[in-house]
Amino acid sequence: MLEAVNVSLASLNVATLVPMTIAVVGALAIIVIDLIKGGLDKSLYVMISMLFLLLDLGAVMGSAGVFAANGTQLGFFDVMLIDGLAILAQIVIVVASMMFIPLALTSKRFHEFSYPEFFALFLFMIAGFQFMVASDNLILIFVGLETASLALYPMIALHNRSKSFEAAVKYFTMGALAAGLFAFGSMVLYALTGSVEIHQIAAVLAADGYANMGYVLVGTVMLLASFAFKLSLVPFHTWTPDVYEGSSAALAGYMSIVPKIAGFVVAMRLFEFLIHSGVVWLEVILYAMVVITMTMANIWAIVQTDVKRMLAYSSVSHAGFVMSAVLIGTTQANTGLFLYWALFSFANLGAFTMLWVSRQKVLLPGQSSDHPFEKFSGMFQTSPIQATLMALFMLTLAGLPPFALFWGKLYLIGAAVSGGFTVLALIMALNSAVAGYYYLKLIVYMFMKEPLNEGQNYLVNASTSLKAIIGMAAVASIFLFLAVSPMIEFIGGFVYNSGY
Amino acid sequence: MLDHILSILIFFPALAAILGFIVHKDSMRAYGIIVATVEFVLSLWLWYSFDASISGMQFMEQANLIPAFGISYLLGVDGISLFIIIMASFFTMLGIATLTETRRIKDLIITLLFLQMTMIGVFAALDAILFYVFWELSLVPMLLIIGIWGGPLRIYASVKFFLYTFAGSLVMLVGMLFMAYFYYQATGQWSFSLLEWYRLILPENIQYWLFVAFFFGFAIKVPMFPFHTWLPYAHGQAPTIGSVILAAVLLKMGTYAFIRFSLPLFPDASVFFMYPVAILAIIMIIYTAMVAYAQKDIKQVVAYSSVSHMGVIVLGTFALNVEGITGSVFLMIAHGIVSGALFLLVGVIYDRRHTKLMSEFGGLAHVMPKYALIFGIMMMASVGLPLTINFVGEFLSLLGFYKQSHMMTLLAGTAIIVGAIYMLAAYKKAFFGDVTKEENKNLKDVNKTELLGLIPLTIIAIWLGIYPKPVLEPINNSVEAVVQLMHDKAISPEAKSTIPSIVKFETQEAH
Repeated sequence: MLEAVNVSLASLNVATLVPMTIAVVGALAIIVIDLIKGGLDKSLYVMISMLFLLLDLGAVMGSAGVFAANGTQLGFFDVMLIDGLAILAQIVIVVASMMFIPLALTSKRFHEFSYPEFFALFLFMIAGFQFMVASDNLILIFVGLETASLALYPMIALHNRSKSFEAAVKYFTMGALAAGLFAFGSMVLYALTGSVEIHQIAAVLAADGYANMGYVLVGTVMLLASFAFKLSLVPFHTWTPDVYEGSSAALAGYMSIVPKIAGFVVAMRLFEFLIHSGVVWLEVILYAMVVITMTMANIWAIVQTDVKRMLAYSSVSHAGFVMSAVLIGTTQANTGLFLYWALFSFANLGAFTMLWVSRQKVLLPGQSSDHPFEKFSGMFQTSPIQATLMALFMLTLAGLPPFALFWGKLYLIGAAVSGGFTVLALIMALNSAVAGYYYLKLIVYMFMKEPLNEGQNYLVNASTSLKAIIGMAAVASIFLFLAVSPMIEFIGGFVYNSGY
Repeated sequence: MLDHILSILIFFPALAAILGFIVHKDSMRAYGIIVATVEFVLSLWLWYSFDASISGMQFMEQANLIPAFGISYLLGVDGISLFIIIMASFFTMLGIATLTETRRIKDLIITLLFLQMTMIGVFAALDAILFYVFWELSLVPMLLIIGIWGGPLRIYASVKFFLYTFAGSLVMLVGMLFMAYFYYQATGQWSFSLLEWYRLILPENIQYWLFVAFFFGFAIKVPMFPFHTWLPYAHGQAPTIGSVILAAVLLKMGTYAFIRFSLPLFPDASVFFMYPVAILAIIMIIYTAMVAYAQKDIKQVVAYSSVSHMGVIVLGTFALNVEGITGSVFLMIAHGIVSGALFLLVGVIYDRRHTKLMSEFGGLAHVMPKYALIFGIMMMASVGLPLTINFVGEFLSLLGFYKQSHMMTLLAGTAIIVGAIYMLAAYKKAFFGDVTKEENKNLKDVNKTELLGLIPLTIIAIWLGIYPKPVLEPINNSVEAVVQLMHDKAISPEAKSTIPSIVKFETQEAH
């Protein structure tokens, strides 16, 4: 006979669940509103999503306050884990989402935004990512990952172009494979240690001195491969350019930021103990992956003819760059990861939004894709302000000082230096130089070539809210260096107090 | 106001450039000239208020930028940087005043004003990261100047210029981060302040590595053989104003940075690498002089001769004694004045004929006597005729290095004399003989605007050649301080003996 299980509500620590719940409630509310009265305008749903995201952010900030006062919070039988990493990642996720969602307010009508379901899926996805970062339980991480991914696939397909279907199916197939690898890897680690919680796995493995090395290898490699799919690390990146090309520029920009920060946090939790375990080959695998991702993605980006594909490869390269923080594994490096990604998200969102506002519904004659380089030829002469803004985002992404991303690069390379990774620091620096070439290519097209298409409108899709987002991204790219010091202190405090 | 004069000097042109977007394009030239003149007057005021008897930094400004990582907004000038700053503002003014470009002139002037900000920033920054910020930022305006207003190969030339320098300086950035890390290890605090770095004594093997890392960044900028290949393209394709600023100011960033960073931070490594660098410098002097002789394009002759003289500057710097370094700093000014003037002169003839090939000219002295006279004076200054500005710098640089190695100095000295051949040959081809081409018969001599730019340069070239003291003395004071610092910091006995101590006899007097 089963004994009655007595669980007090206080021991569940419901507060740990509040931020995700808000997102889920928001998503359900949107569906309910659509049931009651259909045909409402997208601006309503955008604003509702915005409001729920604001509440979500408020709740995250609340848990940040709790963390600052009382340290890491556990809830629901230690399944939920609200530590500094979880809070920082959630802040990045929610803020980036808040900057993304107004991009639906285009002046041209696009298919996906006419469905309320798009916004419901969007909020479900955010809840999924929040679960993913707020746990060190491999099962909850898996559930969060799949919730988010399954919401993201239809969002891509809703763009309703043949390339979007291709992108969604491709992403789904690759995602399913990654999910399989994740499940398999977790299973192996569970079989070895009898636990699905990362810190217990670490404890058991350390206690028996990594005796079953072969199994640890299998489990780790499977898990690494599944993260690598999500983080688009070479050689698991092949879906990235196609999926980015198929999705709308706005969604592509979003995908290059939010899913990856969630992936980084999970990778950080797992590799934190693996890297420090003293097992050499683990470090070697990760080292090789980081270097190959950075370098190869840069080289591929050079030969792209479409700006969006170029940005896709560049985001792969940035992911490799940031993954080096997981490899270095010091507090400074982990702080650098969040700093870099927060700064990167502004510039990247700005660049993708610039593409998004120039997205015409019908391709001009002789134009093979949405955003070929030729489209921007001579842009400075026809629309100087947009060209200057675009150049600003390109220079920021290239890591040119004093623009925002440079400080992230500086801090991360600094972490590599103080972590003793001299060669890695040099490789990171030289890769920045290679990356300079393809960012420069767009600037060359915009400023130094003559206009090709008369009457090319680079603001065809613009609306006030889109312009506001671009303006925000631009101001952030230029002036964020003033905020870098408080950011380092804030992030550093949270990372350090979480034990990373 | 004097407390913040450096900030004003840096940000006034940038602010003016932003406001310049509103100025109508027909009035833009006047606006540019006014802004640049105000800036120049401010820089003269800086000179006037500068106390030449102090060897250390003056007009210092300090504000925390990223205290968590030890990055601050730290500015200051000494005798070494003062005159380069004045020269930068002087050439921006002259460049805008003599501008003959008409296409997209508004964009050009705005770009030039931004460039001016970065140039002055580089020479005033005393925080390594701040220095790096301006150093990198200066690439963008120059990229645009070459890429938009340049010749047929402008895009290749501008991108090559950008990537070369960008790659080199990223290696330097890693070096800076290591430097800051060693500082952190020694003191427990992050700092990128150059003045605090000066206090740090590093082990020799670390000095070697860091010297090499910094060397990449600086050598590409100078540009030293074998990293010089971007420069002929940049000069060949750049518009006149681009070449003038590039030769007069931007290249000096590299040689200035050697004196500011490499020598005082890594004295033992400087001694260790003295001969290798000197050999590179001598190769640079001889090889580029030979290449210059083979050029058909008069602008390429000037460009290669400019590289050749940069070799003398590097040689003087790595003499590691007061004479050599003072000479090299003075030669930086001299080289700026002379090569800037030569590029302006080439621009004058290019505006008239739209060609730079020497075979197209001949007998120009008949049709353009004033032009030929100024060109002649500047060319003589360039080959280092006594009583011209270059002579003082070259003589001191070589004198400095003569104390280190007789053989190599002789080699370099001979090369400079041989260098006169290609300049004289070029001058002969273009100016003497009969006027062979029909198009050249009716060329107009230099006009008033052009004279406005050329006459001050000619006066300076002769004045400082005859009486260099007002410039030489402040430089000498600051250089003595640098050399003394190097001597005190040097670890190995070899370095101690190679780098002379200034206060040696003073301490003896005290006994």
